Amino acid sequence: MPLLTDTKALLLGFWTTWKHIFRRPVTIEYPDEKRVPYPRFRARIVLTRDPDGGERCVACYLCSAACPVDCISMQAAETDNGRRFAAWFRINFSRCIFCGLCAEACPTMAIQMTPDYEICKREIMDLVYEKEDLLISGCGKDPEYNFYRHAGIGVVNRRGGNPDEEPPVDPRSLMP
Amino acid sequence: MPKLIIDNIEVEVPAGTTVLEAAKKVGIVIPHFCYHPALGSVGACRLCAMKFLEGPVKGIQMSCMVPAQDGMVVSTTDDEAAKMRSLVIEWLMTNHPHDCPVCDEGGECLLQDFTVAGGHGIRRYRGKKRTFLNQCLGDYIEHEMNRCIECYRCVRFYQEFAGGSDLGVMGSAARVYFGRFEDGALASPFSGNLVDICPTGVYTDKTARFRARYWDYDMAPSVCPHCSLGCNTIPAARYRELLKTMARRNDAVNGWFICDRGRFSNSPVNDPERPRHPMIEGREAGWDEAFDALLFRIGELCELHGEGSLAVVGSGRLALEGSALLPQLAGLLGAGFLCYFTDDGAGDRTATAVSLLNTDNAASMADVRASDCIAIVDCDLLEEGPMMLLAVRQAWRNGAPVLLVGEHSPLEQAKAASIEAVQISFLEEAPLGLFENPVVICGTKNSSPAAIEKLARAEARVACLLPGPNAFGAALLAREHGGTSLAAAVATGKVKGIVAVEADIPVELLEGVALVAAFDWLPTEVVKKADIVLPTTAWTEMDGTFVNNEGRAQRFRKVMTPGLPIKGLPERYHASADKPAPFHPPRVHRKEPPGGDLRPAWRVIMDLIERLGGEKTEEPLSGKLEALRDLDPEGEGVRIWEIDG
Repeated sequence: MPLLTDTKALLLGFWTTWKHIFRRPVTIEYPDEKRVPYPRFRARIVLTRDPDGGERCVACYLCSAACPVDCISMQAAETDNGRRFAAWFRINFSRCIFCGLCAEACPTMAIQMTPDYEICKREIMDLVYEKEDLLISGCGKDPEYNFYRHAGIGVVNRRGGNPDEEPPVDPRSLMP
Repeated sequence: MPKLIIDNIEVEVPAGTTVLEAAKKVGIVIPHFCYHPALGSVGACRLCAMKFLEGPVKGIQMSCMVPAQDGMVVSTTDDEAAKMRSLVIEWLMTNHPHDCPVCDEGGECLLQDFTVAGGHGIRRYRGKKRTFLNQCLGDYIEHEMNRCIECYRCVRFYQEFAGGSDLGVMGSAARVYFGRFEDGALASPFSGNLVDICPTGVYTDKTARFRARYWDYDMAPSVCPHCSLGCNTIPAARYRELLKTMARRNDAVNGWFICDRGRFSNSPVNDPERPRHPMIEGREAGWDEAFDALLFRIGELCELHGEGSLAVVGSGRLALEGSALLPQLAGLLGAGFLCYFTDDGAGDRTATAVSLLNTDNAASMADVRASDCIAIVDCDLLEEGPMMLLAVRQAWRNGAPVLLVGEHSPLEQAKAASIEAVQISFLEEAPLGLFENPVVICGTKNSSPAAIEKLARAEARVACLLPGPNAFGAALLAREHGGTSLAAAVATGKVKGIVAVEADIPVELLEGVALVAAFDWLPTEVVKKADIVLPTTAWTEMDGTFVNNEGRAQRFRKVMTPGLPIKGLPERYHASADKPAPFHPPRVHRKEPPGGDLRPAWRVIMDLIERLGGEKTEEPLSGKLEALRDLDPEGEGVRIWEIDG
């Protein structure tokens, strides 16, 4: 009986719609209303600073190597005191897929994901962030960590002056 | 030939081969630091442990110290051996600093690889790390002693292999220190190999400090253009800048190493003064416009001074592809002179040397290393071909006497490699006949054609050092096509126009010449004086062939895209041309890199030939040289005599 089954299907559809009229919506009225994501939400990437205020990024190229879409590029340079830093650092957010592999690869906790998901621009070049757009003044996650206090190359402390290092040895000493 | 079984694979190796090398032969690579094929084994790092199950020695042994013997059954995967290796790598890492992110070796580090291979991840030892103070080792090599794992490769290379005396090992126990007695530049002309040979980041290339990682390099097999020996290299570029050069193994030529000149002479490729656009009378122009202007000017010249007033000049640094096309270009242009060499003497000496050499008597660097008596005739190897000195040292280490013949063979070269050499005045005094495998090495800089001719009578193989990476090829072509030297051509008074293709011409020879056209990639004096400049690519920016001093043709591959390096790109290529150039690359899109519209010299010549009505082909090597088209850049190269037949 096609007439019966057709009517049943029609009524079932209307019944489903009717039921949903009285449900709370899952959507919100963005941008009037905004959701607060969880702290570990993966959105806009930042470069953080160490607790002493120095740039954490040492431009080791690991994030750009880990990046599956090749949206990170940089050039390392050296300051007078031997500190390695990024002369320029660029993330192309029009390409970024927010996978978080860069933050995972970062050995100095410099590159971190923030919950700020509102990155929309009318001009595509505005989505290419340079270092000055990425660098923030805080530590972000892991607020105590300073890579150079563990690296053993004498930038923040003199050589052999970090807590897990012996002072430099004298190779000419004859003591056993 | 002992036969042994490694991991159930039967392998037969020549007597004297170590078990480590035997395993390598069947593709089993066991982590090792102190063993290096060029330096041998010392058993210092304790990492290459294997378990010997059957045979003359049993139990856990260092495989680099055990010569392969009949009946050996060896396991590399045995639990006990694997455990030993993982503990050794963990122990080597106890003092290694936590600085891989700021270490230039990261990514090309043997210690990183073998730590992962050994299965060590998290440091269990909670004690403090030992530290050292570094030394300043000059402008080329950075020293970071904290990273050292005491494999002794550096001193073994520096003192034993290269004969340097100013880098050594000091201290005892946990204070073992590799360095100089005091700060200062390393004296050996082969010191740059420490960068390649150090398995970790103690010695890194200061000229490329912090510039890029291994996985980002543009790399390709290449050949060094800085002398005639044709050592095999791997240049590494990034962001259109040639950053560093590494040695590439070729047992017939340079072996494992290269000299410091070849390693650290990268800056000419990045020179901001390099010609980047075709120029007409100092004005930037397009390629078509420049070709038209050149042909118009040449036509004018021929009308004014008659046919044959033009000289087409090549050089010893022009790759074989370009050199081989020069005769055709000269013919089509109606040039009166085809020159492959600029000055008379160099052309004659090179021609004499090349006609003297043949497939039987030309000695390669491998032959020099295996020689039992060496005479260096009128030659300063440090200047004309430093790697030959390293080859001479290997022969001397094996007991070959080294004779310095003539007043132009200074004793300093022997001292630089700690060779005890005897100075004599004439080659006739050398008792070459007493030896089985003597080699005579001769320069072409301070020698004379008569002296070079005399070498044919010496009962020895001959190695001649020539002016330029393709001087051999240029001399061959000059002989075949009747080339003269530019000096001789100018002396006739007929030369009114010069087309210089990658040729260095002294300014005196350009005086009174109405038209100078230069095809070059270096900002030479000729380019500065030329009326028309056509920019060519450097050897790292093109495929090509060099024929080295012993007649070995070797292919080099394009390493990088030509163009102005991103570092230091002028303001006008950035988004706001009126503001100072920012640190970062331009925020504007371009289809091709700025200053990247360069063509290989052979391509420029081919374009000209096409305009003159000649036949255009994509293959510059034709005729006898056709056999070189499929030359394998990673092979040993082909001797020029082998393709004749």
